[in-house]
Amino acid sequence: MNSPLASIIEENLPQHLTTAEDSLKNEDILTRVGQLTRDLHQNLSGLGFDKLLQNAAEAIPNARDRLDYVAKMTEQAADKVLNAIDVASPLQDEICSAGKSLEKKWQTVLESTSFKKQYSEAASDTLAFLKITNDNTEKTKQQLLEIMMAQDFQDLTGQVIKKVMALAQDIEKQLLQVLVDFKQPSVVKHDVENSLLNGPQIDPKNAVNVVSDQQQVDDLLDSLGF
Amino acid sequence: MANPDTKFLIVDDFSTMRRIVRNLLKELGFTNVDEAEDGVMGLNKLKNGNFDFVISDWNMPNMDGLTMLKSIRADATLASLPVLMVTAESKKENIIAAAQAGANGYVVKPFTAATLDEKLSKIFEKLLKA
Repeated sequence: MNSPLASIIEENLPQHLTTAEDSLKNEDILTRVGQLTRDLHQNLSGLGFDKLLQNAAEAIPNARDRLDYVAKMTEQAADKVLNAIDVASPLQDEICSAGKSLEKKWQTVLESTSFKKQYSEAASDTLAFLKITNDNTEKTKQQLLEIMMAQDFQDLTGQVIKKVMALAQDIEKQLLQVLVDFKQPSVVKHDVENSLLNGPQIDPKNAVNVVSDQQQVDDLLDSLGF
Repeated sequence: MANPDTKFLIVDDFSTMRRIVRNLLKELGFTNVDEAEDGVMGLNKLKNGNFDFVISDWNMPNMDGLTMLKSIRADATLASLPVLMVTAESKKENIIAAAQAGANGYVVKPFTAATLDEKLSKIFEKLLKA
């Protein structure tokens, strides 16, 4: 293209124009700007930029759904761990306090002198066992606390993922706007992936040809005679 | 019930998943367990290790689970080895492809301890009848 902008400027800059000539020239400018815009768009298309933009815009919702899936799964995992701790912790407390009171009781019994030798041996064994119980429940409790504290990753990674998702959504919106402004909307079509390596289905209930639970796997295999 | 000495090979590229499956097997009374992190490593271990049972993921680097399954069925010394697929691949084509390649069972992730127990029992039952 031999610099149409330069020639427009050249043609329209002379200072001796009359008003009638002026409006005529203004219309000319508008026509030329329109022509320029079309040229620019055609050049962009020729270079494949429009396709790149379209690919990028289409890839973002997919990436966002995947991040959403990561957030959902990590949250579920964290919830499961926390639920398990909620169940296990009071059980440990119960063993601990029962053990402690039993230990005290046996000490009192042993302080009175009238027991046979075997009896006191059994009592010492019981005491030793109770000591282990107490120590171990205490240690387990510490480990449970450690497990609970480790779940703080969910909060932190969740926040980072949410920020990335918001950013992606913003970029997607802007790219789509560029596409809407510069391209006929009819050409947007999706290539459905057809491979056996798809990884976890992030939305199995709404996907075609995908099972959403073990029961459906079993039913399918049954129906095929396996 | 199956022999508690049954030797298992767990093939999965995620160590967390291998650990989970190993722990579940332990709960079920099986402690003779080895691990491999992809199909190539799995196949090597199987050829040298006298294994009785394989639990394999599908999507792994180097060699995926389906290719490993096909290689097992094509190897005269390994052909009759029971293979349970435990995978996140949940398209119907996947399940059909695994069944046709000779998988003894198919479990989709995320799965529960009860599901793994049930599928293992079912496979052992069928093996006893055969």
